[in-house]
Amino acid sequence: MSALGGGAAGGEGINPVASVIALVIVLASVGIVFILYPAALIPLIGVIIGGVLISFGVHFVPVGGAPAAMGQAPGIATGVAMLAAGGGLAGLFGGAWAAGHGLWIALGAGAMGGGVLMAITCLMVNVVYVFEMGIPAASGKVDKDPITGDTYPAYRSQGTEGHGLPFISYVGGVLGGILAGTGGTLIYLQLLAVYQGAFASWVGITPEGVATLAVSLAGIFAVGMFLVAAVLTAYNITGTIEGPHDPKFKRWPRAVIGSSAACAACGLVAILLVVI
Amino acid sequence: MAPKIEASAGGMEHGKMLAIGLIGALICIYLVYLNTLMSTQVFAFFGGLAAVIALWWGTDSIKKLCSYGLGTGVPSAGMIALGSGVVAMLFATKLAVISPLLVPIGCVVVAAILGAILGFISDKVLNMNIPVMTRMIAELTVVGSLTMLGFTAMVAGTFSFGSLILGSISVMGLAIPSYAASVIGGCVIATIFMLGAIAIQHPFNACLGPNESWDRTQMCALECGFLSMITVAIMSIVFLSFIAVVISFVVSIILWGWSYSELIKLSKRDAFAWLDVKPIREVGGEQ
Repeated sequence: MSALGGGAAGGEGINPVASVIALVIVLASVGIVFILYPAALIPLIGVIIGGVLISFGVHFVPVGGAPAAMGQAPGIATGVAMLAAGGGLAGLFGGAWAAGHGLWIALGAGAMGGGVLMAITCLMVNVVYVFEMGIPAASGKVDKDPITGDTYPAYRSQGTEGHGLPFISYVGGVLGGILAGTGGTLIYLQLLAVYQGAFASWVGITPEGVATLAVSLAGIFAVGMFLVAAVLTAYNITGTIEGPHDPKFKRWPRAVIGSSAACAACGLVAILLVVI
Repeated sequence: MAPKIEASAGGMEHGKMLAIGLIGALICIYLVYLNTLMSTQVFAFFGGLAAVIALWWGTDSIKKLCSYGLGTGVPSAGMIALGSGVVAMLFATKLAVISPLLVPIGCVVVAAILGAILGFISDKVLNMNIPVMTRMIAELTVVGSLTMLGFTAMVAGTFSFGSLILGSISVMGLAIPSYAASVIGGCVIATIFMLGAIAIQHPFNACLGPNESWDRTQMCALECGFLSMITVAIMSIVFLSFIAVVISFVVSIILWGWSYSELIKLSKRDAFAWLDVKPIREVGGEQ
């Protein structure tokens, strides 16, 4: 599925030195914000938690890529970045709509937005696979579904890594949408709080002006950071993953460390916008 | 480490493209500042040219990065470029409170730092182990931020934060300041984000393959850039004077028409050359 047919990179294991450096980046970002603009300390931590939720959530989403489109691998037939953007941004918009109703309701709305989008996507993917391509759902990585106990080997075609969207992958997709949607909404809400607080002190600005600018800036920053966290996770997965039962799922600690550092750096820049 | 597959032989050296892209884009963005100096808006189209020059360079960076197996497809590199680029670019526009001339150079510096962090994370923390990864992600972040800054300057005629957040609406002939009618307040920036993202993702994704050739991919990049520029010119109707919009629109249309006809010529040339099925050219690597 790589660009020119080259084998995907991505070795196993954690690089301890690099991980420590990544954690230092997180701490440095938190430290700089604490010194320059203490009011944004909790929001920055919220942004980092949001990035962690996104990168952990994306690991659940069954990504099939090009092989899935040809019915040769299980999962949804597109790339990680596109799928995460679809599910997570649907959640972000759902949560942003409910931002006025308080943190927990907005986070719930974001989770439901992402979860519902992934549930519909997974359902329609299976409709296409089963009724239009005529292939049954069979996992390539496990012989028995961890939830339903269905067996797969008898349904798996020769020469393929499985096909269709098994039940465990469906559950993974919905869980991934819920987590990524919550993460995206959390980033948006935290940045919104920072900007609303900072812009309100500007001379000659109207309350409508504060609301408009804060929503626009928090929205575009949240979309940017969401894509950064999702693409870094995609690089961690290197291509396809079947869901929480896939051996690649065990790589999640790396992506969580990486995305928290990336979101800390991006969040720091986004917060410094109101400092200068 | 993934085996390296040479995308296309020949073409301009990457370092030279970097220099042309970076310096050309910066000069074009600074030319937009003539608007402020001469109290006019007709120089807005230089912003679009800056974005296209940056995209031309960024396409080669994507090609260098994606000639190693990323496993996630080409568009993901474009998404991370624009996702981090927009963060750096919006921060840089705020530097205008110190001096407007700091904005373009500040944009490059902030984007390079942010990109280097992201490149380090993907290369070392995520164990991708691709030799060019840190440099190329840093370059792509700079490209993404310059593209955003260029298109923003083209749509608004300026690149300082104060002007980007405050527009004006006309009520019975009176101009009333309005935050909602501005580039950032009206979230025109989100449309620019996607226009830039499509223009950087598409060229190499469309042209890659065994008979990929350097000049065709780069022409496709120019064509995508000018196509986005036409849309940006149409969006600038809201913010700029009539004459400035006409200049932007005519420049974009002429350049797009030229690049499109050149792209079709190059595509026909390569299609004609592709009479026999040949294996993928592989240079070096461990396979």
